[in-house]
Amino acid sequence: MTKLDFLERYGQEDEPYVCASCGNCTLVCPVFHELKWESYGPRGKLHVVKSILEGKSEFGKDFAHKIFLCNLCEHCTSVCTTGISLDRFWEVVRAEVRERGFLPAPAQFVLKSLKERGDIMWMGSADRLLWMEDIEEIVKGRILKKAKVAYFLGCNVSLKSQLHDVAKSMVKIMDYAGVDFTLLGDKEVCCGAPLGWAGNLKDINEMAEKNLEIIRELGVETIVFSCPSCILTWSEYSEYLKENQNIELLTASQFISRLIRERRLSFEEQPMITPTFHDPCISARVLKATEEPREIMDYIPGVYHVEMNPSRQNTRCCGSHGLLDVVDPILASKIAEVRLRDVTVTPATRIVTECPRCILAFDLAKFTTNYDILVQDITQLVASSLAPKDEGGAKDQ
Amino acid sequence: MRFDEQQIGDIVGADNVSTTPETCMIYSKDVTSLPEVAHQIVSPRFDVITQPVDVLSLRNLILYALDNGIPIVPRGNGTSGWGGAIPTRGGICVALSGMSEILYFNEFESAVTVETGITWRDLLTFVERLGFTLPVYPSSATAATVGGFVASGGLGIGSTRHGDILKQVLGIEAVLPNGKIVRLGRLLLDSKNDELKEKVEEGNLWLSKQLSTAGLGTPEQETKLFTGTYGTLGIITKVTLKTIPKLYLLPFACSFDNMADLVKVANIIISKAKPYYLRFLTDNYTSKLDALNEYENESGKFILTGALLDTIYRNEDNVEIIKTATNEDNGAVLNDKRSRYYWNERFYPLRVKRHGPSIVPAEMLAPINMIPEILEKTKTELRNSKIAIEGMLSNDGTTSVMVWILDDERKKVSFTIGWHRSFKFASLAQRFGGLPYAVGLWNGRHARKYYGNDAYNDLKVMKKKLDPRNIMNPVKVFGGRVTIGRESMLIGFLIGFIGTLIAGWVIPRIPILVQLIQLLDSSLLQLLYFPYLVIVGLSVGLVGLLITRIMTLNQALAMGIPLLRILSKLKRK
Ligand SMILES: Cc1cc2nc3c(=O)[nH]c(=O)nc-3n(C[C@H](O)[C@H](O)[C@H](O)COP(=O)(O)OP(=O)(O)OC[C@H]3O[C@@H](n4cnc5c(N)ncnc54)[C@H](O)[C@@H]3O)c2cc1C
Ligand code: SF4
Ligand code: SF4
Repeated sequence: MTKLDFLERYGQEDEPYVCASCGNCTLVCPVFHELKWESYGPRGKLHVVKSILEGKSEFGKDFAHKIFLCNLCEHCTSVCTTGISLDRFWEVVRAEVRERGFLPAPAQFVLKSLKERGDIMWMGSADRLLWMEDIEEIVKGRILKKAKVAYFLGCNVSLKSQLHDVAKSMVKIMDYAGVDFTLLGDKEVCCGAPLGWAGNLKDINEMAEKNLEIIRELGVETIVFSCPSCILTWSEYSEYLKENQNIELLTASQFISRLIRERRLSFEEQPMITPTFHDPCISARVLKATEEPREIMDYIPGVYHVEMNPSRQNTRCCGSHGLLDVVDPILASKIAEVRLRDVTVTPATRIVTECPRCILAFDLAKFTTNYDILVQDITQLVASSLAPKDEGGAKDQ
Repeated sequence: MRFDEQQIGDIVGADNVSTTPETCMIYSKDVTSLPEVAHQIVSPRFDVITQPVDVLSLRNLILYALDNGIPIVPRGNGTSGWGGAIPTRGGICVALSGMSEILYFNEFESAVTVETGITWRDLLTFVERLGFTLPVYPSSATAATVGGFVASGGLGIGSTRHGDILKQVLGIEAVLPNGKIVRLGRLLLDSKNDELKEKVEEGNLWLSKQLSTAGLGTPEQETKLFTGTYGTLGIITKVTLKTIPKLYLLPFACSFDNMADLVKVANIIISKAKPYYLRFLTDNYTSKLDALNEYENESGKFILTGALLDTIYRNEDNVEIIKTATNEDNGAVLNDKRSRYYWNERFYPLRVKRHGPSIVPAEMLAPINMIPEILEKTKTELRNSKIAIEGMLSNDGTTSVMVWILDDERKKVSFTIGWHRSFKFASLAQRFGGLPYAVGLWNGRHARKYYGNDAYNDLKVMKKKLDPRNIMNPVKVFGGRVTIGRESMLIGFLIGFIGTLIAGWVIPRIPILVQLIQLLDSSLLQLLYFPYLVIVGLSVGLVGLLITRIMTLNQALAMGIPLLRILSKLKRK
């Protein structure tokens, strides 16, 4: 009867039965919020899995497609009554979708691109150096340099010109604080997260290891990321990191707030900026890094941040996570618009966040809704608020 | 079932209708995982799922169902477990979560009016932002709709101070099974934007006549016909609820070694401190809460937890009362952090389900003072089962007792047989002066006791008047004919047939009859006997089949429950 023995392979066979059908997950699901039918929400999908297990439904193309209509935003997981790691479950089901040959074309493209180019956008390693234009002075000698701190950009920030300023800002901050840091430059490859989103769980470790091998050789103790999903992926899937706890993985704001506490950053008075912080799903719900960005904003003189509702662990997804932006761009942008609407009812004049996917999603939603607002990464706000260099903090030894 | 999807789409909007097997399957479930055999008496799925977005299209949908004799079942978010929202004869499911607007709020009248598809969580967020809160909301607030809880009745968070949910309802609007729109009690609305005014006047006039012929009061006085009756008399579309000021909320928690001490302290707290909320968790519940593993003082203990909602000064006095009573009765008061943990846990009574992974629920409403005895008895009766017990205390001397029997539905036979424990607990409850906690579908047999004789008779009379074709949530509360599956019909036939054959073999061998037969013996009789017996057997078999076809739910349960009990005894042996 068990036609889904892959669930057993991943230790997930109990989960559809553990579900209490309480509906908490569905009521917070951004996809259900848009599409309205339970068959698109997590509780409904679990019922279908159960029904497939019992031989009453088919694991067909339609179900496979629905499994990809999901942001892997961790919201369902965070509210689940019975503690089901739903996001893990959806990834496992995606793996089966792939096995059965039902992978949506955009997900197939992502897998191909990762395999052949090491990134999600069919670009290539040389393009990972383009963001350094104009800041050659700062990055000179940093690539593959031995150092205690590494800055890992991730595919989006390295390769999307729209996001190059995020990376530039991060290295400016590190340089300002006198951090001895290293970059992987054109040796950086994708962290491996999109592999899992596209149903290839078994190769994630290998992809993470391609980066970690270099990082280890450089004697790195702290890795700073511009994308929270990279952190999640490595902590969940890297065999090395699971066994060796000697490398810490930090979000940009966790690292910056540490620099502030060490008094290595000083800021200029800003001309009354009222940002609102959009908590990216992964940093809020998994990494629990909700307070650092707020501490940073509170610290910069002239910055008065306002809260959006919902926020922190209850934040709403931007719609672009988990490959939804490529599998169903219209649905993804509708989800982003909902989040943008949360901003419109605050007096905020800019959205600050710390995930490249969120920035891209809001930039698009601004366009589709005609709602003009500045969208920034927290590093951009910090870098542009720094006091002139000579007032900078102490240097690493 | 004859229905036209396109016509339904024209009524409620094409995007708001679905007939896909997967959607119909999902919307046909509530939180209870039923054993397969249940679908021998109720249909496994709806034929159509609809999500109307306004009262007029809902009304037209009901008229369509009436014209075509199609059953229609209201559904909130399916978080109940008594079968109230599941199909019994297929038909149309009306999912109401698309009707979720907040229509009216007036702080001077301490009232809020909403469309019934809104979740309690969203309503709470709204009123709390304005400095108010709700006197009662269910612990399923994160997903349950206002309509679902008001239609079910029951205790919730806040009931320890304010009683059950029905006491918080000031007025309702409902669409009757004949399409008339009525308003009962005091429904507060902004009259300028009231598009339904004329229809409501007409509906209320008609309803007044029906009520007076039944010897009942005016619509103003008869809200309870629709609240707590599981959508069997109409679909509630708007509700006006009381609100209360959001004073200072102070959670507390105490742990005890036994239930008797806990109950003693609970009684003192209820009478002296008048808490907003009070819940108990028994030893077999706390030992299964994984988050308590590192708290020796809590894991495997009896926990009494709740919250005060009052002025800071009164809270301070009341905290002293709680501390003194707890210390005097061998309990330990837990610190603020732990108290807040239990307060946050109020939304997660089903946490323990992972230990199943399935649950067979057994619930009752019982006098608080009987709880220690009920617990003891339950533990003895269900000693071979993994159980977790918890409950919520009300201000009228009663408490809900929720027994979660942990099981595994993948072991089909034992899971099915294991259901007799739920019924066993229900009869145990009655022995201790308890009532079933809810009615819905599965407790329809206890409806008379649950509502009280007179009230139940009134409901029956009104059901006949408002819904003569019995299309509105059929079989719920009032029972009725069920859809019998093929297997059961076959069993009915076989019982008749085989029973007759056996009788035909045994009876002639009864000593006196043997002599009689010998006296009459002739080869002709011998020859004719067996073909006749087979014909009679077939006829009795057909009668058996017919009986299953016309059987009501209560009759089916009356036969099924003892059968489960016997099977469970056999299994144990
Ligand atoms: C975790 C959890 C906690 C719970 N806590 C409580 C609790 O504290 N107290 C309690 O009493 N119950 C509780 N329940 C049971 C259940 O949540 C409540 O009864 C709840 O109010 C049902 O709401 P719903 O929207 O899911 O309704 P559904 O389950 O969809 O429907 C319940 C019944 O109401 C009818 N109905 C729904 N909407 C309407 C309407 N608009 N008009 C007419 N009839 C309608 C349905 O036909 C059905 O008979 C809990 C359940 C869970 C899973
Ligand atoms: S991960 Fe997010 S989008 Fe996916 S089912 Fe859960 S809540 Fe919905
Ligand atoms: S929140 Fe968890 S237990 Fe509740 S319906 Fe969703 S998956 Fe099931």
